[in-house]
Amino acid sequence: MKMFYQALRRRPAMAGYDLALVWAVLILLAIGLIMVYSASIAAAEVDRDTGFRYSYFLTRHAAFLAVALLAGFAAFQIPIRLWQQYAPYLFLIGTALLILVLVPHVGREVNGSKRWLSLLVVNLQPSELMKFFVVLYAADYTVRKAAYMHSLLKGFFPMFLVMLLTGALLLAEPDFGALAVITAIAMGTLFLGGFDWRLFGGLIIMLVVGFVGLIYSSEYRYKRLIGFMNPWDDPYGKGYQLSHSLIAFGRGKWFGVGLGASVEKLSYLPEAHTDFLMAIIAEELGFAGVATVVVLFGWLTWRAFAIGMQAAKLERYYAALVAQGVGIWLGVQSIINIGVNMGVLPTKGLTLPLLSFGGSGIMANLIALGVLLRVDWENRQLMRGYTV
Amino acid sequence: MAYTTNANLVLRLQFWRAWLTLGALLVLFLALIGRAVYLQGYQKDFLREQGEARYYRVIKLEANRGTITDRNGNPLAISTPVQSIWASPSDMEPLHASQLALLSKALSVPLEELTRKLADTKRDFVYLKRQMNPDAAQRVLELRIPGIFKQTEYRRYYPAGEHMAHVIGYTDIDNKGQEGLELTRESMLAGKAGSRHVIRDRHGYIVEDVTGVEQPKDGQTLTLSIDQNIQYLAYRELKKAVEENGAKAGGIVVLDAKTGEVLALANMPSYNPNTRAKLDPARKRNRALTDVYEPGSTMKPFTAAAAIESGKFTPLTVINTAPGSMTIGPNTVHDAHPHGALTVEQVIQVSSNVGASKMALSLEREYLWEFFDSVGFGTPPHSGFPGETPGRLRPWKSWRPIEQATMSYGHGISVSLMQIARAYMIFATDGEIRPITFQKLVAPQPGRRVISAETAQALRKMLEMATQPGGTARKAQIVGYRVGGKTGTSHKLDGGSYVNKYVSSFVGMAPISDPRLIVAVMIDEPSAGKHFGGAVAAPVFSQVVAGSLRMLGVPPDAPTQNILLPEPDVPEIKEET
Repeated sequence: MKMFYQALRRRPAMAGYDLALVWAVLILLAIGLIMVYSASIAAAEVDRDTGFRYSYFLTRHAAFLAVALLAGFAAFQIPIRLWQQYAPYLFLIGTALLILVLVPHVGREVNGSKRWLSLLVVNLQPSELMKFFVVLYAADYTVRKAAYMHSLLKGFFPMFLVMLLTGALLLAEPDFGALAVITAIAMGTLFLGGFDWRLFGGLIIMLVVGFVGLIYSSEYRYKRLIGFMNPWDDPYGKGYQLSHSLIAFGRGKWFGVGLGASVEKLSYLPEAHTDFLMAIIAEELGFAGVATVVVLFGWLTWRAFAIGMQAAKLERYYAALVAQGVGIWLGVQSIINIGVNMGVLPTKGLTLPLLSFGGSGIMANLIALGVLLRVDWENRQLMRGYTV
Repeated sequence: MAYTTNANLVLRLQFWRAWLTLGALLVLFLALIGRAVYLQGYQKDFLREQGEARYYRVIKLEANRGTITDRNGNPLAISTPVQSIWASPSDMEPLHASQLALLSKALSVPLEELTRKLADTKRDFVYLKRQMNPDAAQRVLELRIPGIFKQTEYRRYYPAGEHMAHVIGYTDIDNKGQEGLELTRESMLAGKAGSRHVIRDRHGYIVEDVTGVEQPKDGQTLTLSIDQNIQYLAYRELKKAVEENGAKAGGIVVLDAKTGEVLALANMPSYNPNTRAKLDPARKRNRALTDVYEPGSTMKPFTAAAAIESGKFTPLTVINTAPGSMTIGPNTVHDAHPHGALTVEQVIQVSSNVGASKMALSLEREYLWEFFDSVGFGTPPHSGFPGETPGRLRPWKSWRPIEQATMSYGHGISVSLMQIARAYMIFATDGEIRPITFQKLVAPQPGRRVISAETAQALRKMLEMATQPGGTARKAQIVGYRVGGKTGTSHKLDGGSYVNKYVSSFVGMAPISDPRLIVAVMIDEPSAGKHFGGAVAAPVFSQVVAGSLRMLGVPPDAPTQNILLPEPDVPEIKEET
């Protein structure tokens, strides 16, 4: 009898993976593909580097997507156990790549930042992969140091040193955006892993105080930072990019000027197909488009945390922290990117995950989502009584 | 493995931490939505305005300025499309030295000037070169430098050049009339510029039209009364006379005697309206309309006409002009050659000052003033030209007898060449005067009768006599046509007194049997020996009239052997004034 009810409760048959999450990702990727194309046509047409081909970014983005989807599918095949096992090595590889980027003649410099390694046809951006490796490593670290989560010295300090090294490498590029995301992942994972909340709170307060002190100690830094708050003071100089981004939002109104009809993408807004893709979405698709993307990212974050909590209930703590780390990553990065586009955060140089043009970013995002789905799949397997 | 290091035993993931983190992230997502509502729902108008300030432009579409043609449709002022190259420095990235050099060469603008023009990166419109020919402009655009554009404009071209400069005038580089008919008929010629409201991309290329294109309205064609051929002839003869006589200036007016249309008007010195850089303002003056001079003896026919109209004289009334001078108060009126008793006809023929003065003094001041006034002296001719002078005819109440006398032979009164030419219309048209016009008329404007037909015919006879042996203007005669006219040689006033500088003039008409043309010639300060109107101005008249009558196909009214030469031993009659 009891077995009968259990059998009833299992209906409808539970899928092997989180269908809603997969759909959210696919929708975001589709929006990204369309909008990267729309946002890049005008720029590609007049750019010598693209050979004046209007579809330059579309074809490359589509190719990246195909490869990244394959990579994500491959990541899905790998048991979490193995990810945990190799997390420290992956993290070391990531660090090595970050060092390699800084080596003269090896790292490629674009717009004053050394962020890329040239791999014949494509450029690899190690900092994007590093975000994924930090998710894996921070989870592994937290699980290993579970006993010291009350200790500043033994629990926090080793992680702090590792992050200091990584942070230094990222600052050398410089890539403030990646640093912010990686710091958020590491701190978030520690917090989720049970690090003493009083110490955590103290650290946060110290961080904030230190940061504010740093800013107020130098007029230059202060001006630089608050510059973003008032793009209209110098709309043709420092506030140029942001003011154009805001204009794009304003022009879009509730339902947008229509797909393809953006004016800002006509070489007014720099980085329209990468960091400021959201502004073009806002202009062409309006508030409706913005809200859709934000809700999808919110949903994505929610699912990542839900999968993580499910894993925790199953006492799979590493998997739980990895899932939630992915959630923090995608959540924080999308919030920062959209916030920058809307002028509430200073310009960081962060792409919009899953949407913006950029092979390394999408590759890292989809591998991470593959791992997240793997966590979910393993959860479901365990709940069905299988082993993983 | 020690108890404390077993993660599975120690680690109890607390769900409040996950909920708190997730909650914080979701709150931030909500905040973003709130920010989007603010930007896209409430701040949108401000943002749109900011956007429009950056890529919204109103582009002027130049209207094609109307063509000016002569009465036969020959173009006198035409607008040809040209390209102006302009740049938007605010949208441009700094150019390489090689690009600048290429640009400088293609524009033929010096490198320093180009650099200076492009230096102000705040500006989004600066002309690099105006009015290039379309091929040269195309070569500039083929350099494919972003932020450099062309604009179609029209350049005014005057095929007749200096021959017609004073009538047509010219426009400035923005196609606004500056002088002459280009200025006075601006509203008719200019048309109305259209506009496009467009959105442009960063490189300045037009993306779309925001509203419908407002098409420019081209200016209307202005058909002048001028006859290009007569104008060329008149200018050429005037120029020749001015140069041969070493004169300071000169003017000629050719009127259609029947309609009042101006067939030609030329002045010396002139200028080329196509290349008018560094132009002396004196050259620009349309002297025939703007400058006054004392008409001298060319006034006498009006004195005679007034005298006959008064009823006190007939053409054959005898006036004693001996001994060739006449005292009025402290002043004396002289004749160049003393004559004895002269009929009114002869007074005109030999140009006797004493005779004219006696006629004038026998008339009421008021009557004489009214007569002068009725032929247009003292009022502008209203030809529709800028800067017309009314001349100078003082009120009759202030006339003293000596002034009344001198005015009868054209001193103490000032007129423009156009005024005197028009006034002669009363003799040419059997007594009627018409307004003059520079526009081709479909039908003549109504005339106003000033003198009777009989008087006019009598005066025509006197004017013809003046061109025949015994008259002062024998050199005005032409083959095949009978002509009539009056010479004038007046001393110029300098600082209130008469000096030995002259204005030589001739006003005449042909064919005298039924006048078709009135030609007035004025030569200012001839200095090459001759200064009598009969010697300096009359030949210009005869050349112009002869050519013009043939061009107009006017049937001759005299046999070809009509020129009457004086007996070899008779001295040439010359007038002083």
